[in-house]
Amino acid sequence: MMQNIENAIEIRNLYKNFKVVYDKPQTLKERLISIGNRNKIERREILKDITLDIKKGETVALIGTNGSGKSTLLKLMTKILYPNKGTLETNGKLTSLLELGAGFHQDFTGRENIYFNASIFGLTRAEIDERIDDIIEFSELGDFIDNPVRTYSSGMYMRLAFSVAINVDAEILLIDEILGVGDQHFQEKCYKRLEELRDSDKTVVIVSHSLEVVKKLCNRAIWIYKGKIKMDGEPQDVIDSYLDQITTDYSIDTIDKNDNYEGYINVDSPVSFSRISRNSILDAFGWELSECFDSQIRIFIDGKEIHDIVRARRMDVINYYENQFGGLARNPQPGWGVKIDISDLREGAHEFCAIVFDNKGKELSRKEITFYVE
Amino acid sequence: MTLFKNLYTYRELLKTNIKKEIRGKYKGSFLGVLWSFINPLLTTLVYAIVFPYLLRGGDIDNYLIYLIVTIIPWNFFTVVISQGGSCVRNEAGIIKKVYFPREILPISVVISGLINFLISCVIIVAFLIGSGVGLSMYFLLLPIVAIVQTLFSLGLVFIISSINVYIKDIEYIVNFIVQMLFYGTPILYGLDTIKGAPVWIVSLVQLNPLTTIMNSYRDILYYKRMFNIPALSIILIISVILLIVGYFIFKKLEKGFVEEL
Repeated sequence: MMQNIENAIEIRNLYKNFKVVYDKPQTLKERLISIGNRNKIERREILKDITLDIKKGETVALIGTNGSGKSTLLKLMTKILYPNKGTLETNGKLTSLLELGAGFHQDFTGRENIYFNASIFGLTRAEIDERIDDIIEFSELGDFIDNPVRTYSSGMYMRLAFSVAINVDAEILLIDEILGVGDQHFQEKCYKRLEELRDSDKTVVIVSHSLEVVKKLCNRAIWIYKGKIKMDGEPQDVIDSYLDQITTDYSIDTIDKNDNYEGYINVDSPVSFSRISRNSILDAFGWELSECFDSQIRIFIDGKEIHDIVRARRMDVINYYENQFGGLARNPQPGWGVKIDISDLREGAHEFCAIVFDNKGKELSRKEITFYVE
Repeated sequence: MTLFKNLYTYRELLKTNIKKEIRGKYKGSFLGVLWSFINPLLTTLVYAIVFPYLLRGGDIDNYLIYLIVTIIPWNFFTVVISQGGSCVRNEAGIIKKVYFPREILPISVVISGLINFLISCVIIVAFLIGSGVGLSMYFLLLPIVAIVQTLFSLGLVFIISSINVYIKDIEYIVNFIVQMLFYGTPILYGLDTIKGAPVWIVSLVQLNPLTTIMNSYRDILYYKRMFNIPALSIILIISVILLIVGYFIFKKLEKGFVEEL
């Protein structure tokens, strides 16, 4: 039972560990053989002694690096995982979005899938009938709604999935890292709807790597660090401490790593085999990701070095990196750009070369591009 | 109690799941749902042609009818056990991502099996009338026997489907046992046919809960008489106990589904 009816989620002294089995016994034979060496099974503690109250109406973000346990905590709240010790109670109708479109049937139409998906969230036929027009309208799928979802693009698929989840009127909405997809217009619409939910009496819990989203959307942030709650409070304060910790952990990491850095450089412009008119300024730009903080970029045209390269903060690259690999991108300014006067280049093919070096001058990655001057 | 509350809240999911089981199974096939008629019909025909020459079944009047009144219920049992056994494993994808009461899965397999069975009872009726055996008032008792069989199967499916998540071999072991049970249950023969067999074989067959269920079908349909009330009552009690035990095993093992799948 809940201790306080004001709470939407109540967690008391919760522990969760996972079995780490290197060769998981799948069959009876393997299981019989593995009886003798039981002691080889290792248990890894994912969450340790979590006690937490989330009040009705709060919009809370769980932040932390990959493997910190924040997604596990969200799965425990969803009740697809169960704690090993301690309790977790939820109060109110709960909807989770761990993965968009989980439970969609490829051969069913969008409309049939709305019914199916909403019924998984525990809605009755009458309740779905009431909402179906809103859901279809929000998804902006129009006539496509009566086509099988296997004909949908990934953007349409995600629009449908999000529209269902956000319109089922759950009292508690749990979302894991899914807002990064879809086109700009629809994303903004989703954020707007989430802001509406934040300002209503609904409870929202978000797991996100995107700190911008956390700042914009949430009124409370909880930082999970190595399976424990490290900090809980105003998003801005929590994010600041979180970033500090990452930098500290990171420099310890790099000292250990010594000089085996890896990296990658990309050139957005000029494009390979592009034609550039002679009397213009070549606007060259791109991005670089490396494990080294103070990486250096050098650019050459036909072997001649170009100077005055400007580094830039590329949010798209950082966001993508964070979403893909978790944690923070290592270099806060992965972007680079330089304006090159090419009026003194003769007509014909030229070679553009961008190289990224680590702090000791070792080459990490290079990209060569041929372009034509006309 | 939470079971019934859950089932009530999630009734739409239960309904769509049952529909999906019935419709989805034959989706894309030319004859569609007709297959739930054709399948048992063909099996019966094969047995009816082959067995009179092999066994002493030839002595029995209307052997085809004698067979059909038990083979179709037996078919219900095997389909439910084999589909039910893997129902949790097959839905791994969705179980890992969304919460819903997991017991919906085995329950919808068994209920869709029951509906399929009731539809294929049309074949039984057609054969009873066509062969001249005819129908009696006892036919109306068929739902009672069907319900006992459903409860019994559901109890088993709860246990098998949840253990199957942890040990995949269960599925194969169960399939083998079901095949053996076919011969250990009076379907091709009657209890009186095996009087000459060793005592331990006879008592094994008598201990088999499915024996009473199949005999009850045969009593009300073929012999047009009352089934053995005390025997079926005992099976009903056993089925209810099995169902409760099965449900608790399922609820206990359910907590590890996501980690094991």
